[in-house]
Amino acid sequence: MATRNTLATARGSTLTVTVHVVLLLHVLGQIVYLASRYRVRVDLTSDQLWSSTDSTRQLLGRLEKRLVIEAYFSPKEKLPVLYRETRAWADNFLDEMVQLGRGNVVVQRLDPNSDKAIADKAGRVGVKPLELRSQTSTSLSLDRHWQGLRLLYGGGKQKVIATFTPGSSFLAEAVLTPAVKEVLTAQKRKFGYMEWPVTAAGGPQQGGIGWNTLRTLDGIANRYEFQNFKDEDGALLPADLETLFLYRPKDLTDRLKYVLDQFVVKGGTLVAFVDAAEYLIGPQRTFSRVPMVLDAAGSQQKFTDQLLHYGLDWKVKVLADMAQRAHSPADPFGGANEYFAVLQQNSLGRAQHVGVPYPYFFHAIADDWSKVADELAKNNRGELDQALAAQYRKQFVSGMPSDEFLFKAFKQVGRGPGFYWPTWVGLRQRAGGVADLPPEVEGRVLLWSSPAVLVEDPPQSLNPLGLGDNLQKAAEMQKFSSKLRERLAAEPRQQAPLMVEVKGRFSSFFAGHDRPKRKSEIAEEQAKKPKVDDPATPVDESKPNPDDGPQPDAGQQKTDAAAVVAEAAMVTRGEEPGRVLLVGDSDFLRDDVVGGQYAKAGGPFSGITAAPFFAQMLDWLAEDRDLVDLQSRRAVDRSLKFVETATASNADPRLAEQALRSKTTWLRMLNVVVPGTLMAALGLLVFLFRRAQKRTFLSSLS
Amino acid sequence: MRESLVIFRRELRSYFLSPIAYVFGILLVSVLLWYSTEVTLQNGARASAEAFFGTLPFMLILFVPGLTMRLWAEERKLGTLELLMTFPVTIWQLVLGKFFASVAYLGLVLLLTIGLPLTLGAYGKLDWTPVLGSYLASLLFAGSFIAVGMFWSSLTRDQIVAMLLSLVSLFVLYQLGNPLNIELASDWMPASMVDLVNGISPFKYFVSIARGVLDTRDFVYFACFCGFFLHANTLVLQARRQRG
Repeated sequence: MATRNTLATARGSTLTVTVHVVLLLHVLGQIVYLASRYRVRVDLTSDQLWSSTDSTRQLLGRLEKRLVIEAYFSPKEKLPVLYRETRAWADNFLDEMVQLGRGNVVVQRLDPNSDKAIADKAGRVGVKPLELRSQTSTSLSLDRHWQGLRLLYGGGKQKVIATFTPGSSFLAEAVLTPAVKEVLTAQKRKFGYMEWPVTAAGGPQQGGIGWNTLRTLDGIANRYEFQNFKDEDGALLPADLETLFLYRPKDLTDRLKYVLDQFVVKGGTLVAFVDAAEYLIGPQRTFSRVPMVLDAAGSQQKFTDQLLHYGLDWKVKVLADMAQRAHSPADPFGGANEYFAVLQQNSLGRAQHVGVPYPYFFHAIADDWSKVADELAKNNRGELDQALAAQYRKQFVSGMPSDEFLFKAFKQVGRGPGFYWPTWVGLRQRAGGVADLPPEVEGRVLLWSSPAVLVEDPPQSLNPLGLGDNLQKAAEMQKFSSKLRERLAAEPRQQAPLMVEVKGRFSSFFAGHDRPKRKSEIAEEQAKKPKVDDPATPVDESKPNPDDGPQPDAGQQKTDAAAVVAEAAMVTRGEEPGRVLLVGDSDFLRDDVVGGQYAKAGGPFSGITAAPFFAQMLDWLAEDRDLVDLQSRRAVDRSLKFVETATASNADPRLAEQALRSKTTWLRMLNVVVPGTLMAALGLLVFLFRRAQKRTFLSSLS
Repeated sequence: MRESLVIFRRELRSYFLSPIAYVFGILLVSVLLWYSTEVTLQNGARASAEAFFGTLPFMLILFVPGLTMRLWAEERKLGTLELLMTFPVTIWQLVLGKFFASVAYLGLVLLLTIGLPLTLGAYGKLDWTPVLGSYLASLLFAGSFIAVGMFWSSLTRDQIVAMLLSLVSLFVLYQLGNPLNIELASDWMPASMVDLVNGISPFKYFVSIARGVLDTRDFVYFACFCGFFLHANTLVLQARRQRG
């Protein structure tokens, strides 16, 4: 009876414990579930790697209508492991967007795998399935998974991201936030442009190489509109046009200069990417100068004089920066094509591009050059010239002195966009290097070269490498660099301005002169003259030549025809402040250099720096700061440097490698052995202490 | 609280008086650092202790059972458990004292690995916050494993059995958070069950804290996980005390 009671008690106790455990599990499960629903998270990483930037916060905080995000996502558990990680990032970021949107962001998750109608809809809107092959020992199947998004703002504008597979929160934000910005952009800001395409590599090419790639990039074209205003007749620019780009201006007629003058005087912003010379790029890295004239034949006024009138000094010279950091690729291993590279055979017999230092292709460096004044003021014997050092300290400035948000991202990497054969574009100066700007105009240089710059007339041809084998090429390059170094040593140190801005109320360059007439006006005047003078001229000259580049819109031509007699009088002094920006290079924006076609032959390739620079320049000109924080988000370089790069490059590579290996081994041993030794030493101390205690105790007993 | 502190001190002292603890500590630290430094200390590699903290969970699976197997099993084998039960302390205080002593011991062992982040910091720009987050995550992770190990140790008199049971259960818990296993499971398990199983593994929450993001969800999980196993431990001891 007692045994039965004990058994019953034991059973009851077991049951109680089981119920207790099950209930506890249930309660704890609920707590964990609730904690995952209502959570607070703090990103402690110094680069804020797991948090969205202010760009995203501000954009989502400004939503006035509902932003619906249709997420065409296959079930997570069906995704292959590699894609499951991207789903986690995608989900995390979408959740964060919902939180930041304060009720204005709705994510609708749709599963195309579960319903054919949804799959069809995904296809219609442009979401593409990922077709992934899965293979086992007995089967091979092709699975379709969806992971794309459609953003709809206020039931109107939409943006589709065909596949959204971010590898980190940073990449998720880099894709989604600009997409949100696109759907929020109610009206595209309009930019005008005039371009003079570059003669193609290898010889003249019809149409030449322009700068279409950047203007038509998805992220740019969806937010900004570009209209070609290059008009053969020379009509004045419309009053509502705020900004006009000039891409590589050349063959400028007086009429066109007048059009630009009136645009600036009336308060427009003129941005010109200019070049001093044009080169044909031949085989074996040879460059031959192509005849290029800035002012068209018969032109009375020089464009450089016109710029000088506004306070800008464009010296039609070519620059070469001898500072090694200015013309070396950012990544010496993977970035050979960033500037200049030659095809060489490596030790395995494979052809590969090897970067070559070429001072005509360089960046502005963000360093404050006045800090190296002492170093620069030393003579060959290493003696410091105090007076010269003091002068350099006063004279030299940072390569990127401006705090404008255009340069925020570039300052983080320490250098500006890469330029190719740049030219001098600075402020007008009086003797002694003092800026001499027109009244009511202020100006500043936005980018400078290093103080190791050479300024020269554009050479007729350049052949830095010669035409021999690799050894001969290296010798030629050495000779080429030595000549430049000798010249640098013989010339005074100076910094060359690479990008400059003036703004204010400008007076007209043409004030006091006759207004240059349009072609149609000239034609009409000639038509009014007796026919015996020249009967055929008026009709022929008014026709645009189809080979002269892009033609104006048909509507524009009609307007011109109507305006023959009604052009506004010359404005000699502006009421509104105008602005002129000169960038001392245009090659970095040209299609083959940005797009990488030219890089196939050895570079340069400017896509890495030119595309962000141009995109950020548009935002800067439009005063749109929404994406600044996102654009300037950049992880700090955290690479380990056990040996100095200089040591590795100057010394025998085998010795450098040996030094590196020995240092790594030593550090490894130190890390592995020291903790264990410390622990063993502690153990030994404790053992000795206890043995002493034991002996004392035993001796006290005896 | 004071009673728990007394138990804590007694346990922690006992670790440092036993040669096993030193052997255990030296082995754990040396093996861990040997494997992780091979990957981490590379010229040009990112200054990050991710490889070290990535190896740590697996090492803890191997070493924590060795640490926890004796906690209750040895007391039972030596007959000191009955003596402990007569002390004027509650079972919870006993359990917490032993638990925190084990965590503190592991914390001290982990402290010996600080040389690696210091080296990384000396030769590169190491972001210290994720490293500190990783140490915190490691302690929480180790705590959850210790709680499981203590529970198994309370169930048996034999230390080897306790160790094997801990080893298997910790391995299973770790593998539940492994993405490859989740993929395999998703072939035959319903999605909700896959999420539930994945959510049980401490590994998932360890990764979350180790990347440098403090999330209340992760802390709540570790508190609940440890709380559950420590409570189960007290229930076992309670039942044993009642049985006399």
